Amino acid sequence: MLAAGAAPLALAAVATAAPKPDLDVLERLLTRERRLEAAYEAALRRGALSEPLARALRDQEREHARGIEMSLTARGRRAPGPPEPDRALAASLRSREAFARYALGLEDRAVRAYVDALSSLRDTRVLQPLGAILASEAQHQVALRRFLGEPLLGV
Amino acid sequence: MAGSLTRRGALGAAAVVLASCGSSDPPPRTGPRPGSGAGLLNSILALEHAVVAAYATGAGLLRGEALRYARVIADQEREHVRRLDELIRGLGGTTARSRTPDEYARSFPVLHDGADALRFAHDLEERLVRAYLQALPKLPDAELRRAAAEIGADEGAHLAVINVLRGRPAAPQPFVTGTL
Repeated sequence: MLAAGAAPLALAAVATAAPKPDLDVLERLLTRERRLEAAYEAALRRGALSEPLARALRDQEREHARGIEMSLTARGRRAPGPPEPDRALAASLRSREAFARYALGLEDRAVRAYVDALSSLRDTRVLQPLGAILASEAQHQVALRRFLGEPLLGV
Repeated sequence: MAGSLTRRGALGAAAVVLASCGSSDPPPRTGPRPGSGAGLLNSILALEHAVVAAYATGAGLLRGEALRYARVIADQEREHVRRLDELIRGLGGTTARSRTPDEYARSFPVLHDGADALRFAHDLEERLVRAYLQALPKLPDAELRRAAAEIGADEGAHLAVINVLRGRPAAPQPFVTGTL
């Protein structure tokens, strides 16, 4: 059974060669996670989300990024540098509602990216831990909708 | 809460629900090739049927926002049933049938109030998350994995909603594994 907190280790534990397309997919997911982490970090600094929520989401994105980075390096791929600054993030920090909507957009795209990854990756050993991250991002969508006062399941 | 459903009780009940799903159905004489994923999806379908029945049972104890969300979640679980049904038939399989409400009721724990109903829902949603995650590496093709991933994400969101209804953070942990 995969316990909470074990997923990063499980992702990293298989230090064997992986197909290049898989490494590219993991690298793109890592960039996405770092963008999310940077967004919540900015929100925390600027008060653009309630502090407990911003802190929790930032920390969770950081855990996701760490797990994927360990997995990449274990497979011989150097982790990419930090993502380019996002102009849309800077604009969203003008209000709490604007930031929550921006973050919800990032989370929506992350969920779609993980679904795509899970259907295309060839190395089946990473599917379960990445699925656990996918379910986490789906929970982040609920947390942000709650913050916005919107229906929690988007319907 | 005195007399309310304990976590141990809910887990035991959830295990009974899972163990009893489809166990008396006769094995198919013909059908999909071994390893097609149909058998795996069928075991999840049996669990989904049980979860739909559990929401119907729990709805009688819920009020207000909790009742409203229980109905929305139950509708989405029925949609999962339809999707799994279609996938299994597409693989040439025979789909697991839903049991009668009485049969399900006998395998569910006694629920005294809304808190019990939400605790039971939480444990069943965890079980669903785990079932979809465990299926991912075993499903042989991209379309089936995509379906399992999409539905697994839905179950993660359901778990978050149940968390909120129980007065807890929506997203309490970074890796949602369905660990019971």
